[in-house]
Amino acid sequence: MSGNDINRRKFLKVMGWGGAGAALAGCDMPTTVTLEEGKETVVSYLMPEEYVIPGQGVYFASTCQQCPAGCGVHGRVREGRVLKLEGNAVSPINEGGLCQMGQAGVQTHYNPDRLTKPLLRKGGSLSEVTWEEALAALDEKIGANSSVEGGKVAWMTGTVSGHQSVLLEGLLESLGGAKHYVYDLINNHVAAQVNEAMYGTTRPTYHLTKAKAVLSFGADLVGVSQSPVHFAAEYAKFREAPRGVLIQVEPNMSLTGGNADLWVPAKPGTEGALAMGIAHELINNHGKDASALPSGLNGKIKAYDLAKVETLTGVPTDKVKSIAKILAEKAPSLILTGASIESSENGYAATAAAAMLNVLLGNVGETITSSGGFPFPQLDAKTGSGADLLQFADAAGKGAIDVVFFHGVNPVFTAPGYLDLEAGLGKIPFKVSLSLFADETTNQADLVLPLASALEDWGTHVPAYQPEQSVIAMQQPLMEKLYPATKGFGDILLDMLKLRKVEGYTDFSDYYAFLQDAFAALPAEFKNGVDNASFWNQTLASGFISIPKQNASITANALDIAVTLPGENINYGLSLLPAIRLGMWDGRHANIPWLQEAPDQITKAVWGSWAEIHPKTASRLGLATGDFIKVESVKGDVEVPVYVYRGVFPDSVAVSVGQGHQAYGRYAEGRGVNPLTILDSATDGKTGEPALYGTRVKVSKVAVNKDEILVQFGGSESQVGRKLAATITAEVFNRTEGA
Amino acid sequence: MNKYTYCLYNGKRPVSWVSAILLVLALVFSGAGLAEVPNAVPPEGEHKGDDVPQPIHFPHDTHAKINEINCMYCHTYARRSKVAGIPPTSKCMGCHSVIATDSDRIKKLTEYWEKNESPPWKKVHDVPDYVHFTHEKHMKRFLFDNEDMEVERVSEVCAFCHGEVKDMEVANKVKPLNMGFCQRCHEANGGPSDCWACHK
Repeated sequence: MSGNDINRRKFLKVMGWGGAGAALAGCDMPTTVTLEEGKETVVSYLMPEEYVIPGQGVYFASTCQQCPAGCGVHGRVREGRVLKLEGNAVSPINEGGLCQMGQAGVQTHYNPDRLTKPLLRKGGSLSEVTWEEALAALDEKIGANSSVEGGKVAWMTGTVSGHQSVLLEGLLESLGGAKHYVYDLINNHVAAQVNEAMYGTTRPTYHLTKAKAVLSFGADLVGVSQSPVHFAAEYAKFREAPRGVLIQVEPNMSLTGGNADLWVPAKPGTEGALAMGIAHELINNHGKDASALPSGLNGKIKAYDLAKVETLTGVPTDKVKSIAKILAEKAPSLILTGASIESSENGYAATAAAAMLNVLLGNVGETITSSGGFPFPQLDAKTGSGADLLQFADAAGKGAIDVVFFHGVNPVFTAPGYLDLEAGLGKIPFKVSLSLFADETTNQADLVLPLASALEDWGTHVPAYQPEQSVIAMQQPLMEKLYPATKGFGDILLDMLKLRKVEGYTDFSDYYAFLQDAFAALPAEFKNGVDNASFWNQTLASGFISIPKQNASITANALDIAVTLPGENINYGLSLLPAIRLGMWDGRHANIPWLQEAPDQITKAVWGSWAEIHPKTASRLGLATGDFIKVESVKGDVEVPVYVYRGVFPDSVAVSVGQGHQAYGRYAEGRGVNPLTILDSATDGKTGEPALYGTRVKVSKVAVNKDEILVQFGGSESQVGRKLAATITAEVFNRTEGA
Repeated sequence: MNKYTYCLYNGKRPVSWVSAILLVLALVFSGAGLAEVPNAVPPEGEHKGDDVPQPIHFPHDTHAKINEINCMYCHTYARRSKVAGIPPTSKCMGCHSVIATDSDRIKKLTEYWEKNESPPWKKVHDVPDYVHFTHEKHMKRFLFDNEDMEVERVSEVCAFCHGEVKDMEVANKVKPLNMGFCQRCHEANGGPSDCWACHK
């Protein structure tokens, strides 16, 4: 370039003109290059379909199944194919919004790796069979004439609710003592138990919109939560003028943390101590009434002076002071908890300590209210817990299970590696997997029943977290099945009930008929005063049945529990942070190219795994971004590229969950690593939940693996002072723009 | 000549003598272009399309020219939708269960019909997926909302983009249907020039 007497500016100028010229000329590029004539077939209708105009979309309401939140969707259907999903504007759950996982629902549906036929293990390998053969194999194992022992049959599912849950209950009952394990890697079981003890309900309703300040211990409001779209919308309203203040305490930055006014990295496992310190400061320096708390707890709080808190948590005294000041001044506030505090070794106690702040600050009844209950307990959501997984692994290992059914879970992938679930499953003689895809668990199965996709199936769903208005969400097929030999979950359950010859179910030809009958049986007060047929049609059109909430008051008792801290381990000096992000979720979306391609919210990494390490720790260990490290716990190791980043607590390594599939189709397999495989066996003592954040690791540098290099969008995390995106502090914003 | 000079040449094409003579000859012999669609400037541009063999050699001329059937009788969705629509096979059979039933083509059509199948027609005209083209809007502008235009003359509007199909047997692509072609017509007829009018 130097020889041509051309500088950068001139170069850009020339490029500009050249580019414009090329662009305009490009208008007349022959289109035959990509649109060859006579290559594509257009098949007309044999008979014109009534109401169908080719080229015009028709919208149908249904319910998203990409996570258990139960958002309402509108699917655009053209010529009998669903093309696009959007949020249902009238659904009280998501009010028109739909997250990237929901949007990507069409790629689950049209995924080229879908299972299309039932598979039965014959002589060691799975081979295709007809449904008649598949059901005959089932009949032999669990049919009415089989010698099945109910106590030795188990079901493992993810969150299940609605009428599928009714059918499943009926089946379990007919089997006499069959155990139902409900397992979700992403769950709020610890918080639910704290809530139960404090408020007498597992699911109170949170009102971010009424709060002036939110202190979140790892609750990812705009990412992974019990209801991602709902809480993201609440967050947006909370941040509208007058802008609420958000303080986020977490060991590695989430998107919520990135948006917080104050981001506080606390040493993993010590968040409970920080909560006690904040309580100490609120009582001593802001006149908060300690009598609201049990006297035993008061005594414990006294021990957490700020100097001690700083030593324990790594959070400087002045930061704790300013947190307490904000909370004291901005009432009502709201304290929320998420995975990083709940899923630690002392998760229950730490979560209880955080929740205690809500009592001390007088938030109960203001920003936390009763959910009002749900009138149909048989339809209510059964949400998963990790404790169920541990119990299942135990029973499987002991040989206490003869037949197991899996639906909506992939425990071989999501279970901590030390459980060695593969070996446990080996001891179960007959394993049945109801699945859309051949995943790690399905490949262990003896019988694989291919499911219809969520966009091809009927169902009702009761969201576990119901905001202002409760609903029974309606799922209806948006199109014909892509593969005729797949079946809906409800239909398969009905088939099994027929094999068991259970009275009351044998008359239904299919699940659709069962649902219509169930709708007719709903009490008249929920039917808007119309007849059954109109009620059914109204529900299909709107996408849900509204269930009025009862007004119920809420009272709280803070729990008198001692916060304990994790032990140190000199040989394994770092904490492993298995972050969970909206997108991959628990790994179930790793086979969706759109979500693989969507950059991670914080690191902008795509299509792989990485380890976030604080610059201080990186320089101590001699690591730079792009280096490869072995992350090693007592249970195993994984090798990942390093991403040096300030948004992570020093002395910890963050590796996101979701990648590292051995089997899950072409887009997921052999990509990245699964940090769950190296989890330590730590559990929360009170709830028995596996402590995802309770693993200690060490790292060592290894050779670069060219197949797994870190690929990121955007080259820099800093603007290097160029003000490409100008920012002002919240204080200045409030003074100039806020109320 | 690299690909850019080729493009530039195409963009500012001088009217060559050969094509001018051809154009004059075409006008003289066909008589087309004389009866003009009112309030419209037809788009400019030609394309030499491939011959596309179809499962049944469908004669457009027999239908549209000799028997004067309106284009929209078969392509019924043109006025209502993005796509003009290939007629349902039942529509073909509506006439051909009694008309010309002994011709080879109709025998073939009847075979399809009796098997409950539609002929697998090959697509001739297409635009890329990132282009939102709608027949409905164009029919409105040039036909239904065009004051001095009679619906019977619809084929002249179709001809803007599809050429004189009524003179063809199986349709060929004779217009380029690329962005320059669209844009010149939009400029001449006051169509939208926003990028996102078409690219959405």
